[in-house]
Amino acid sequence: METFNKPRQRRSRIYSSEARVAYICLIPAFLGLIFLTYLPLLGVLGISMTNWTGLTKPEFIGLHNYIKIFTTDPYIKESIIATIYFAILSVVGSMIYSLFIAILLNRKIPARGFFRAVFYVPFVLPAAAIYVGWSWLYEANFGFFNYLLSEIGLNKVLFIADSRYVVPSLSLISVWLAGNLIVIFLAGLQNVPVVYHEAAEMDGANGWKRFRHITLPSISPIIFYNLLMSLIANLQVVTPALSLTNGGPGNSSRFMTYLMYDQAFVNYKLGYACATTFIIFAILAGFTAVLFKTSNRWIFSEGGDDK
Amino acid sequence: MKAGKKLGVGLIAAALVFGVIGCGNNNETKNTAPSGEASKSPEKTPSKTEKVKITYSMWGTAEEGKVVQETADKFNASQDKIEVEVQAIPYENYMTKLNTMATASQLPDAGMMREDGVVQWSSEGMLTDVSAMYEGSDSKPLDSLAYTYQGKPVAYAATNEILLMYYNKDMFDKAGVPYPPSALDKAWTWDEFVAAAKKLTNDKNGKHPGEDGFDSQSIVQYGASVENLTWQLEAWTLTNGGGFYNDDGTDVRIGEDASVEAIQKVADLYLKDHVAPLSVGQTDDGIQRTIIAGTVAMATNGQWNVGTSLNKAKEEGLKYGVAVLPYMKDKVTLNTGGANVVFSQSKHPQEAMEWLKWYTQEENNWGLISSGIWMPVLDKWYKDETLTHKWVDNPNFPPYDEYKSAVVDYAQSSAARPASWFFTNHTTEFNTLLASVLGDVWTGKTTAKDAISKNLEALKAANKGDK
Repeated sequence: METFNKPRQRRSRIYSSEARVAYICLIPAFLGLIFLTYLPLLGVLGISMTNWTGLTKPEFIGLHNYIKIFTTDPYIKESIIATIYFAILSVVGSMIYSLFIAILLNRKIPARGFFRAVFYVPFVLPAAAIYVGWSWLYEANFGFFNYLLSEIGLNKVLFIADSRYVVPSLSLISVWLAGNLIVIFLAGLQNVPVVYHEAAEMDGANGWKRFRHITLPSISPIIFYNLLMSLIANLQVVTPALSLTNGGPGNSSRFMTYLMYDQAFVNYKLGYACATTFIIFAILAGFTAVLFKTSNRWIFSEGGDDK
Repeated sequence: MKAGKKLGVGLIAAALVFGVIGCGNNNETKNTAPSGEASKSPEKTPSKTEKVKITYSMWGTAEEGKVVQETADKFNASQDKIEVEVQAIPYENYMTKLNTMATASQLPDAGMMREDGVVQWSSEGMLTDVSAMYEGSDSKPLDSLAYTYQGKPVAYAATNEILLMYYNKDMFDKAGVPYPPSALDKAWTWDEFVAAAKKLTNDKNGKHPGEDGFDSQSIVQYGASVENLTWQLEAWTLTNGGGFYNDDGTDVRIGEDASVEAIQKVADLYLKDHVAPLSVGQTDDGIQRTIIAGTVAMATNGQWNVGTSLNKAKEEGLKYGVAVLPYMKDKVTLNTGGANVVFSQSKHPQEAMEWLKWYTQEENNWGLISSGIWMPVLDKWYKDETLTHKWVDNPNFPPYDEYKSAVVDYAQSSAARPASWFFTNHTTEFNTLLASVLGDVWTGKTTAKDAISKNLEALKAANKGDK
C-alpha cells in the first residue's frame, strides 16, 4: 500500500500548487461574475418581491408577484408553451440541418470556400433586415410563398398570421440562421482521424456505418456544445417576436423573454418583470441541468473517462 | 481532479444560464439610483442676470433634435429669462429612457410624451397640473386635445391627429364606382362601404365577391382594409354604439354586444365579405401595405400618413383621395396626439409652461404641419379659413376642398371623439391584452364574442391596472 501512496502524495502537491495558480488567474473572471452577474441576480430577486414601477417608491409585497404569475397572469402559460415549442423545433431542426450541411461542405466539392461562405452569411446579416425579408416571404395575402402556392393551385397558408403556423414558421428562420453551428461542426468533422475511417473501410464498413460508429462518436463533444448553445439561445428567443409578430397572433409567439421585455419596458411593471425573469431562469436552469446530467451517457471522450 | 472538473463544469453551466438575466443588470443599477425624494433639493433662485435653464425632451433623431434646437434658439433670443436646451431621444426608446430618467430623478423640465403614458404618469404624480397654461390666451387648443386625470387637465396634445379613409382614385375610376364622400353628412353607412368594396375587389379572372366563380384564394385587388391596430378599433366600437370604456375610463364596455359586433364586422371584411386582405394587427404600416403597395382600393388610418408616406407616393404618381370614415350607427372618428408635458420633478414649472406655450404655436412646428404629419392644435387654424389655406394649400396635401372637408372640418365636427387614452389609465396594458385576445378572431379561428367574453375579467383587471 505504502509504495502506491507515496507517488500519489507527491503528485497532489504539484497539483495543488498548480491549482493555486489557476485560482489566482481566475480571480478577474470571478470578480466579473460576482459583480456583473451574481449580485445583479440577487438584485433581480429582491426587486421581484416589490411592486416597483420605476416611477414611485417600491413597496415590499413578498411573493405576491409569483402568486399572481401562476394564478391570474393571462399570458404566462401560453408563453412558456410557445417558448419550449419554439426551442425544441429550432434546436432539433438546426442541429440536423447544420450537421448535414457541414458534412456536405466537408467533402471535396467544387467551390467549397464559396459554399461555406454562403451558408454562414445568414448568421452575420443584421437581424432586422433578415426579419423584414422573411416577412415578405411569409406575407399572408401577396407574400412570395403564397404566390408560389397559388401558382400551383393550392390554398393560401397564413404562416406568421396564423397562430397554428407562426412558431414553425419562425423556427424555420432560426434553422436557416444556424451558420455558426455549421462552422463549429465543420471544425469538429475535420478533427475526426482519417485513420479510423481508412481502417473501417478496409474492414468493409459502408458509409452509413462509418458515420454512425466513427464520425458521430468522434464529434459527440461538439454535438453537445452545439446542442447546449443552441438550446439556451433558442429558449431566450425574442427578436422574431419583437420584429415580426409582436407576440401574436394571440399569444402564439409571446415568448418568455418577449413577455418579460413587455412587462418591464412597455408596461413598466419592473417588479413583476423581475419575477417573470426568475421563472425563465428556473426553466433554463432545468433544461441545462437535464442536458448535463444525460450528457455522460453519450459523449465519447478520446482521453478516456476523466470525470 | 474529479471535484475540480465538476466545479468547473458547474460554473460554466451557471454562467451560461445566468446570461439570460442580462436585463436584470439594468434594473439593479436603476435600483441603486436615488428615488424620487432626492429631487426636492433646495431650489436655487436664479439671479436677475442669469437665465433659467430648462431642458425639453422630444422623440426623433439627432438631426430632428437640431432642427428643434434651432427653433428653441429663436425662443432663447426672444426673451432674457429662459434658456431652453433640446434633448432628442429615438422614438423606439423614448418612454424607456424617460422611465429611467424618472427613476434617477433626472427628468427634463418638459417634454413630449406618448399618448398611452400621460394619464398613468399623471396618476403616479409625475406631471404638473397645466390647467392654468392657456388662461388669458386668445386661442386655446381644441377641447378634445386635453389629457385629463380625474377631470383635471394634466397635459395638452402637441399635435392633433384623426382617423380617416384613403382611397386610390385610379381603382375607383376603373371600376366605375363613385368616390367615397369627403363630407361628413354624406358619409357611407357600413353596408354602402362593403358594397363598394365588393365592386372594387377582383380575383384574377376579374370576378367580384358574390359572383359565380369568384375565387377568394386568387384575389389580385382588395376593395378595403380597415386598420385593426387595437387603439384604432375603438373608433368602430364607438360608431356601433359601444366602446372600449365608459365616459371616464373607469369601467370596461368592450364586452357589450355593440362593441363585440363592431369588431366582428371588421374581421368579417376578410372572413365573410372577402373584400379585405388579412391583417392581424401586428405591425403599424397599414397604409404602406395597402394604398402605397397598390393592392387595396380603400384603407382607413391616421391623417399623418399624408406626411409620413403618401406625399412621396404622390410624387411617384399615386392618385389618392381622402374621405370620412363609414359608420355603423353614429358617425365617429378618433382624434389623438402625443402630449407635451411638464414634469413634476422640474424646479422651474412656470418657465417650462412658458416655453411649451410658445413652442406649440403652429409657426414653430411649421415643418411638421406643412408636410402633413401634424395638424395644428389651436382652434383658430380650423375656424379661420385664411389660416386653413395657409396650412393646407400646398402640394404635400390632396386637393384643398377634399382635405378641408374630410380632415379639417371632420376634426372639429361632433364625430371627432378623443381616443380613450386622453382620460383612461393603463391603456397600454389593456390594448396589449385586447390585441392578444383578438389574434385568432382575424383569422376566424374564434369569434369576437367568444374571445372577448372568455377574457373579459382579465380585460377588466387590466383597466384597473393592479401593479
